[in-house]
Amino acid sequence: MGIQEQYRKEAAELLSSGEVKLVIGYGEGSTAERRRPVFVRSAEYVSRLVLDGSCVANLSSYLVPEGLLSDGKKVAVFLKPDGIRSINILAAESQLDPEQVVILGFDIEGGQAAPLPGRKASDFTALIGSLKSAGLSPELQKDADRLEQMSASERFGYWKEQFSKCIKCYACRQVCPMCYCRRCIVDVNQPQWINTSSHTLGNFEWNIIRAFHLAGRCVSCGGCDRSCPVNIPLRLINHRMAKEALDTFGHYAGESAEQQPVLATFRQEDPETFIL
Amino acid sequence: MTRILLNSRLDDCLGAWRSAGFTVLAPVKRSDLTRFDEVQGASEMSLDIVMPERTIKEHFFLQTEPLIRYEIKKQQIETEEMVPPERKRIFFGVRPCDAAGLDIDDPLFGWDYKDDYWFRRREKSVIVTIACTSADDFCMCTSVGLAPDSPKGSDVMLHPLLDGRGWLVVPHTDRGKALLEPVSSILLEEAAEPAPVPAVPVKFDVNNVMAWLAEPANFESQLWKEVSQRCIGCGSCTYLCPTCHCFDIQDEGDTYSGIRRKNWDSCSFAMFTMHTSGHNPRNTQSTRWRQRIMHKFNYYRGKFGVNSCSGCGRCTRQCPVDMGITETLHEISNLPR
Ligand code: SF4
Ligand code: SF4
Repeated sequence: MGIQEQYRKEAAELLSSGEVKLVIGYGEGSTAERRRPVFVRSAEYVSRLVLDGSCVANLSSYLVPEGLLSDGKKVAVFLKPDGIRSINILAAESQLDPEQVVILGFDIEGGQAAPLPGRKASDFTALIGSLKSAGLSPELQKDADRLEQMSASERFGYWKEQFSKCIKCYACRQVCPMCYCRRCIVDVNQPQWINTSSHTLGNFEWNIIRAFHLAGRCVSCGGCDRSCPVNIPLRLINHRMAKEALDTFGHYAGESAEQQPVLATFRQEDPETFIL
Repeated sequence: MTRILLNSRLDDCLGAWRSAGFTVLAPVKRSDLTRFDEVQGASEMSLDIVMPERTIKEHFFLQTEPLIRYEIKKQQIETEEMVPPERKRIFFGVRPCDAAGLDIDDPLFGWDYKDDYWFRRREKSVIVTIACTSADDFCMCTSVGLAPDSPKGSDVMLHPLLDGRGWLVVPHTDRGKALLEPVSSILLEEAAEPAPVPAVPVKFDVNNVMAWLAEPANFESQLWKEVSQRCIGCGSCTYLCPTCHCFDIQDEGDTYSGIRRKNWDSCSFAMFTMHTSGHNPRNTQSTRWRQRIMHKFNYYRGKFGVNSCSGCGRCTRQCPVDMGITETLHEISNLPR
C-alpha cells in the first residue's frame, strides 16, 4: 500500500472511530502540480486526500485561528517535520494542547512522500534532534553567504530594493503558523505604532518587525517565501535569524513542547557579546 | 490597407514618442518581479510573458498616495493638497484584461465626485495593448465576456503578426489615433495576417452566477463557508486584482504635522470592517469572501452596469492556498437548480 492509501485509511479510521473531529490534509489543486489544503469531516470523503511529493505547505497554521480546538476535541493533520516543530512551538507558547493534535507525519525524500512513524508531537523528538544536528539548509546558506559578503551598504541596498516591492498583502503573516496574534502589531491603531503605508519606511518597518518576532520561532517551512506574491526572498531573512539563534544560543526552534522561547529566557552562560 | 509596426522599428517608435514628451512604461522584470516600469528601450521589456505579476492599476491608484500635507499652527491649520503631477505616459504592452480593468474602475472613481488622483493620471495616459498569443491555466477573460483581443480600455491595440515580424496596429480611440501621428513614418502600410489568439476555455456561466448571487436567500448559503474554508485572509488577491479599488485614509505624522495618505485596503482583512466598538459585522473569513464575490458580480453591476472582474486570473494564479474567484464562480454556476 502506498503512503496515500495508507494515510487515507488511517484518516478514515480516525474519523469513523470518533477519535478526531476533522482531518486537515492536502487535496488536488487547480493544476496538476498544485496541492491545496482540504478539510475532511467524515470518513466517506477521505478519497479527497492526496499525499505526494508536491504536498509542501505547513498546514499547522490552520489549527490556531477561530477557536478550532476550543471544544477540546482532537484534529488530525498531515505534517512534515517543519509542521511538527510548529506544533511544539505553539504548545510551548500555550496556543494549543499538543494532546489534541494527531499527527499524520511524512517527509519528502527524492520528490516522494514517505511516512514518518509516530502520532503525537512528542513521538518525533528524536527525529527533530537529528535534524538539528544535521544543521540548517546548505543551499540557503549559499544564498545567505552571498549576502554576507556584501558590504553593509550594499546589503542595505539589496533589502531596500526587495522591500520596495512589498505591497503589504500580509500573505506572509497569514500563512505563517507562528503569526497567530489576534491583532498583529501592524493592525493596532490606538495608537498606530506602525505606518500602514506601503512606502519604503513602512515596508521596512513591517518586514523587520516580522523578522524579529519570528527570531528563534521560525521553523523554515518556507510558507511565507512561497506565498509572497512579489517574490521577496523572505527565506533569507528567516534563515539569518535561525542561524543566529542556533549559533549563539544553541536554539533550534520547536525541538519539543517544553522548549523555552529563546528571546524570553535567560541563562547565566548566554553569550553577551552585544552588551558593551 | 493595415498599418504595421516592425519589431526592428520599436525603438524608433519609442524614441519618437519620447521626443513628443511621453514617458514610456512597459512590463519589465526587475529584482525578480515583473511589473510596469519606465523603460528607455525595447530590450528592457518583457513582452513574451502571459502577463506581469502586478497590474497597471498601481500606476493610477497608488498603493500609497499622499493626499495632503497638514500643519497645525497656533492660530490656524495649514493644508497643502498634493496633486499628482501631470505626466504624459504611454503604457506599452498592456494585456487586454488589465486595460479593461481601468475601464471598469472609471465609473467608480467618477460617480459621486471626480477622483482627481485617478483621473489626472488617466487623462494623460495612453494604453497600448498587445493582444494575447498565449494564455495559461488561470486566464478566464472569456468567462467574463471578454477575450484575448478585446479592445475594452485600449487606446491602441497591437496584434502580433503571424510571421513574427511585428504587430498590426489598430487605434481604438481618438487618443490612440493621436498617438500614432508622431510615428506615422515609422509604421508600414501593408496587408498582414495577425497570429491567432489562444483558446481560453470558459470556466463558468457568468449569467448563472449573477442570477444566483442576486437571490437574497443565497446570502446565507452554506456554500460561502465551504468554498472559503482554506482562505487565510491575506490581501494578495485584492492587491493583485486589476479592478479592486478599496482604500483607507491614514494620517501619518504627529498631532501637529503630517501627511494624509490614501492606502490600498482589502475586504479580505478582518480589520477592514472592524468598528471602533470592537464589533465586526464581517467577523469570519467566509463573510469576507462572500463580500468580495458579491461586490464584483452583484453590487458593482447593480451600480455601474458592469462586473468588476476582467478575467486576468491573478487571484487564483498567485493565491497561497490555491483559491480564487474562478473556483467559487465555477461552483456557483454548477449548482443544481
Ligand atoms: S516565518 Fe515563514 S518559514 Fe518561518 S514558520 Fe513562518 S511561514 Fe514558515
Ligand atoms: S507576502 Fe510579500 S508582499 Fe505580502 S506583506 Fe509579506 S513581504 Fe509584503
